[in-house]
Order: sequence, then C-alpha cells, then structure tokens
Amino acid sequence: MTLSYYLDSIRDNLRLDLSTEREVIRELGTHIEDKLQELKDNGLSEEEATSTCLGLLGSARLVARQIYEAHSQGSWRQALLASAPHLLFGLLFALNWWQGVGWLLVMLALVLVAAIYGWWHGKPTWLFPWLGYSLLPVVGAGLLLLYLPTRWAWLAILVYIPLASWFLCSVIIQTIRRDWLHSSLMLFPIPVIAGWLLAIEFGGKFPELSVQRLYDLAPWIGLSFLALAAAVAAFVRSRQRWLKVAILVVSGLLTLAMVAYYAEGRLSWPTFLILILVMFGLFLTPALVERRIRRRRVRRSAPILADS
Amino acid sequence: MAPRRELMKVNVDSLLLCLISQQPMYGYQIIKDLATKSEGYFKFKEGTLYPALHRLEKAGLILGEWQMLPNGRYRRYYHITDKGYQTLIAKRTQWQDFFTAMNLIIQPVRI
Repeated sequence: MTLSYYLDSIRDNLRLDLSTEREVIRELGTHIEDKLQELKDNGLSEEEATSTCLGLLGSARLVARQIYEAHSQGSWRQALLASAPHLLFGLLFALNWWQGVGWLLVMLALVLVAAIYGWWHGKPTWLFPWLGYSLLPVVGAGLLLLYLPTRWAWLAILVYIPLASWFLCSVIIQTIRRDWLHSSLMLFPIPVIAGWLLAIEFGGKFPELSVQRLYDLAPWIGLSFLALAAAVAAFVRSRQRWLKVAILVVSGLLTLAMVAYYAEGRLSWPTFLILILVMFGLFLTPALVERRIRRRRVRRSAPILADS
Repeated sequence: MAPRRELMKVNVDSLLLCLISQQPMYGYQIIKDLATKSEGYFKFKEGTLYPALHRLEKAGLILGEWQMLPNGRYRRYYHITDKGYQTLIAKRTQWQDFFTAMNLIIQPVRI
C-alpha cells in the first residue's frame, strides 16, 4: 500500500461534504509529509519510511470512521430543518389542509426551493428529505401521463418516462456518491407513501382516489409523517453510523406497521410483506451501488498509484 | 496499559485544549510537543489526535486555519476560542479538585 492509496482509502470512507473532505485529506497529507521527513532524517530509506509511517497511522477505515463521527452529528437546527418536510406533510394531513390547492402549491414551492438551495450549497444532510419530496412530482406526473388517451400515453412512455428515469437515476447516483445513507434517507418515505396509497385504494383509475377514505385516514397519515420526522431528527443527531442505519430501519418498520394497523385490513399480509421488502430494497440498493462505484474508482486509480 | 488508555481517552480534550491555549499549533507539532512535555508518557496516534481535534473544532472550542510556514509549506494551525478557554478553565478546576481528593485518599497516612 502506498501513502496516496492510504489517503484515497480514508477519503472513500469519510463520507463528508466535499470541502470538509478536502480539508481533512490535505491536513493528513501534510502530517504524513512531516512524519516521512522525520523518519528519513533518522536514516530510514524512502521505502522503510513509508511502511513505518503507514504502520504508525493505523487503519485507514478506523481513522476515517473516527473523523466521520466527529463531523456526523448535526445540530438541533439541522435536525429540525431535515425533519421539516415530514413535519409539514404531517401537518398537511393532520389539519386536513390537503384539500386546499393553495396549501399544496405552497408546499410544492417550499420543497422545490429548499431542494434547489441545498443542492447548490454543498448538499448538507438536511437537504435529502427535501430532495426526496421534490422528486415525487416527477414520479407522480409520469404516472398521471399513463392515464392520458392512448396516443399521449405512448408519448409519455417514449419521451417523459425515459427522461424522468434518467433524471431520477442521476440524482440518486450523485446522492450515493456523497453517502449511500443519504440516499436511503431521501427514499425513506416511499414505502409509507405507497402503503397509504394502497390503503386509500385506486377505484380502477389512478386519479380516482377514494376522497372519503383519504379524509378518514388523514389524521393517521399525518401521524405517520410525524413519526418519520422524529426518526429523521434522531438520524441527524446521532453520531455513529450503525445507529443511523438502525434508526432508519426500525422507524421504517414501525411506521409501516402503523400504516397496516390504521388501514384496517385494507393492506393484506402479502402486501405488507412486499412493502417491507421494498423498504429494505431501498435501504440496501444504495449501499450496493456505492460499493460498485467505489470498486470502479479503485480499479481506475490503481495503475496511477502503481506508478507513483 | 488499558487503564492508561482509559485515562487518556477521558482527558484527551483537556490535554489538547491546554496545549493549544499556550500557542497555536498544528497536528504533527501537537504530537511531538505532548511526547516531549510528558517525557514520553503521552504517545498520541494520528487516529486519536485528528478525530479529537475535529471534534473540538466542531464544538467551537478551537479553530483551525491554514498558515504558511517559513519553508513555504502550509500547515493547519489550531487556535483556542473564547468558548475553549472557558471549557479549559472548568476542566482544569475539575481536574485539580479530583487530583486533590485522590491524593487525600491515596497518599500514605503520616503518623
């Protein structure tokens, strides 16, 4: 292992925002520079100095994990900001504001502004729940287009859906590059939303949702979004990575159980199990994609390191 | 070895704050200074030092700034903040109380 490979390995495991990551790597690089110089001044050859230095530095993963934990805990303000979209959606249903088009438009505008602002300002952790909601209209529009007259539906299938899929994939991949856990955080409410949509029923056609049923279930829908908001706040405030994963998994399962309970038999056991599988799929797929991206990056950088 | 590591873990923030309060320092310099001043007792590893420095900086107790050395190289110097000073004073008092109390118990009774 070379020192640049060591620093790359730390960078891969840091999962911090780009500017912090650069600062950490630069600082460790200058430390290594000093340490190498000291070892060489003590009479060691370049090779001996490098291997001694690597031994003294310790495991790259461990160093990266500890530095990650020093940065990973968000403030209460960030926790509130991250849970805000879930809170707002919770209130929208709990207070029956979902019936007012004005409120829905305000929510949509707020979500889009927050998502765009966060995306262009260093992609902080609070962005990802907002980003998840901002992608919902893209998916929703695609589904609605399928119910247009046949010719238009074909146009939707041939043009809109490929474009939307490309857009969604690129956003998800860029999020995974930052940290796969953020991607899971972004996709976190999907199984819950899907569960409620199934509980409300489709009456044959997608737009014809049972409004009465939605009205009856609204307080519980609100409650489930408030539960998601609490989970996101706990996620942001926790330091350890394993704890963040546990919070997402446990709260996801509990919220889905809440959906099944209040749906009063409208979600069958197989549907409930499928939703749980979807949830685990959404949690684990980003981790697998990140692994693939990292392997590809290592393969690409290997020949360069061998020369150095 | 384990009790020493435990003691270090508990007191790492106090040690770093105390050292940085004397003069702005960078990571490598801190490791060397700690080893010299403690006559080799404190041997900090990079894996312990940098996460601790970043934790203190995140808490607003110290502030890191890039500065150029006379040889043209850049190093990240850490300065103590006002909040850091207050924390250091509190930690120092805490430590002195603890040390005095420990001595009262541990020291052999004089007849």
